[in-house]
Amino acid sequence: MSEEKFDVIIVGGGIAGSVTALLLARAGLEVVMIERGNYSGAKNMTGGRLYSHCFNGIIPDFAEIAPIERKVMHERVSMMTETSNFTFDYTSDRLAQPGKESYIVLRGIFDRWLAEQAEKAGAMAVNGILVENLIIRDGKVCGVIAGEEQMFADTVVLADGANSQLTTKAGLQRKPVTPHQIAIGAKELFELDEKKIEGRFNLAPGEGSAWLFAGWPSGGMTGGGFIYTNKASVSLGIVVTAAEFINARKSVNELLEQFKAHSAVKPLIEGSKLIEYSGHMVAEGGYGMLPRLYSDGVVAVGDAAHLVINAGYTVRGMDLAVGSAAAAAAAIISAKSRGDFSEKSLSMYKRLLDDSFVMRDMRRFRKYPRFMENRRIFNEYPEMADEIFAGVFVTDGAPQASMFSKIFKTAKKNGLRNLAKDCIKGVSTL
Amino acid sequence: MNILVCCKIVYEEQDISVLPDRGLSYDRAELKLSLYDLNAVEQAVQLSGNIRALSIGGKNKDNGKIKKNLLSRGPQELYIVTDEALSGADTHQTATVLAAAAKKIGFDLILCGEGSADLYAQQTGIQLGELLGVPVISSVSKLTAADGKIIAERTADDSVDVIEAPLPAVVCLTSDINEPRIPGMKDILAAGKKPVTEWSLADLGIAAPEVTVDVISILAPVGKDRKRIIVEGDDKATELFDNIKNEVRS
Ligand SMILES: Cc1cc2nc3c(=O)[nH]c(=O)nc-3n(C[C@H](O)[C@H](O)[C@H](O)COP(=O)(O)OP(=O)(O)OC[C@H]3O[C@@H](n4cnc5c(N)ncnc54)[C@H](O)[C@@H]3O)c2cc1C
Repeated sequence: MSEEKFDVIIVGGGIAGSVTALLLARAGLEVVMIERGNYSGAKNMTGGRLYSHCFNGIIPDFAEIAPIERKVMHERVSMMTETSNFTFDYTSDRLAQPGKESYIVLRGIFDRWLAEQAEKAGAMAVNGILVENLIIRDGKVCGVIAGEEQMFADTVVLADGANSQLTTKAGLQRKPVTPHQIAIGAKELFELDEKKIEGRFNLAPGEGSAWLFAGWPSGGMTGGGFIYTNKASVSLGIVVTAAEFINARKSVNELLEQFKAHSAVKPLIEGSKLIEYSGHMVAEGGYGMLPRLYSDGVVAVGDAAHLVINAGYTVRGMDLAVGSAAAAAAAIISAKSRGDFSEKSLSMYKRLLDDSFVMRDMRRFRKYPRFMENRRIFNEYPEMADEIFAGVFVTDGAPQASMFSKIFKTAKKNGLRNLAKDCIKGVSTL
Repeated sequence: MNILVCCKIVYEEQDISVLPDRGLSYDRAELKLSLYDLNAVEQAVQLSGNIRALSIGGKNKDNGKIKKNLLSRGPQELYIVTDEALSGADTHQTATVLAAAAKKIGFDLILCGEGSADLYAQQTGIQLGELLGVPVISSVSKLTAADGKIIAERTADDSVDVIEAPLPAVVCLTSDINEPRIPGMKDILAAGKKPVTEWSLADLGIAAPEVTVDVISILAPVGKDRKRIIVEGDDKATELFDNIKNEVRS
């Protein structure tokens, strides 16, 4: 058969796809990257924070050239109830150490830039095409199908995101994904003047704030809220485990509306203009639920491979997408040098991944999904914080107890044993 | 047959926002091909021949995605004329530059959209034909070509005019003439390899054409205040009905 064949076809031009394309094109391979959006990032969303360490060695001058929104210099975590909010705010020069810093990004801008880097390196980008199926011959993935067309390659890289249909078709995702393995994210983008953002969030010019909320934003369900400051807009959203909605009293939209209307949030977006809203899935099965990562002629990277760490109130997947793309590219380059694209040859991908920060962190947080199913974290502890601080700060002239006894009294109400157990569990999962 | 298709790059209308003073902001607006020009490109492909696309403007040059999009729809090559003076050019300026470029490229037939997606002045194609000294047929809803001539149909209210013209000629097409194709992945791949020629006004040997129309202001229409009455519940049909009745009456 004399059909045109490429070295690699990448399905999905998000972060995972673009980095794979960039590295393969740099090595001189003939790479086609197919993205269903009119441009990379058109349909993608994230909360906001990208840990930049993942680009070390891939784009060395990342900090200078990447179109980031702001550098994170304030880490904020809040415990929120319907009527109260307790926040701690950490800022330190250590957050700004070169190679260890993190940035807030908007995918519409960031992914497009990343895809352009891949194109500049020689990758061929095909936008506006949805890959519907794979060509599989004798159990080997040989190419992709879109509409009436077929296109062939030695290796197909599945970088099609959390809702990947193709990993199932390739036989990598063997069991259907359950509602416990998926969370639902909703986000709104509010346009706000740069100066106002810096004033409201206590930021120096160019600095950003990453802010996570437990409790009220997810309605006490497993999940949380987030607010990230962009250059001239604010990203605000929630993530809640899909399984929670089976019996939920509130929809994602209702939760988001409540979160926005909370007295600790409302002033932050006062007078801003809603310019975008989006919804997206998050893979959150964790290490124990990973699909197979490779097979004959195919590898899966990023969200498509469920390489995401979801610690309930925070989601981390972009740096893992980059890390897995780097491992996959190295394995494919090596497979090309041997002219062998079999499962055995591509198994190098898994080995490289196991040795990288991607699997080290996936393993480290392996117990997180179970721990997070514990309702106390999303219900009782925010309430507890409220009671403790109300006891400390609310004064009416009645005799005051000591701070310690107030904390002890409140903690006892929630069960000291549970509290101790959760502390130990929480610390040991970290 | 050498067919030249003129394509305008315009702002994506969905991205244009209305400012409080009713002025327009293009800050977040993406660029795209003017919708009606896609019909012209499609018609060129259906007529078949040596198809070249031509676009002029202020900053067309840098938009790789649009160039690729245009070429994936069938033209074999693309000519682009860029000059800052052509940002927001009026129809006379546009036609003048198109004419100079068309002469340099060579053509038997020039196809244009009936109007552009932003201003829809329906002027550029007609002025272009005039400047080139060739026949122009506008509002064409069917077009065939044979032996050095074209046969065009214009649909009027209760009749169809059939017009024959010798080549070279300029034809402006209405959007119901065809259904532009959606490029496939191989078309898009091939587009990345097609030649793009970039010219400045100096390359065409002309100076920036004189501005003949001064734009005084562009304002969005005054928005209508909505009533914002929300009626919710299964048993509220009468309330909803009464509300509508009152509104219609007042
Ligand atoms: C609400 C929310 C908040 C998050 N917050 C953070 C955060 O703060 N920090 C962090 O690191 N991570 C966060 N994440 C996770 C992070 O966004 C993902 O891990 C990351 O987007 C993964 O990138 P990817 O390239 O693997 O997948 P995606 O970004 O999903 O890209 C997949 C691409 O493939 C394309 N595609 C899909 N199917 C096809 C097809 N059949 N044919 C062609 N193209 C196709 C899509 O259009 C898309 O461009 C968050 C996620 C959500 C939903």
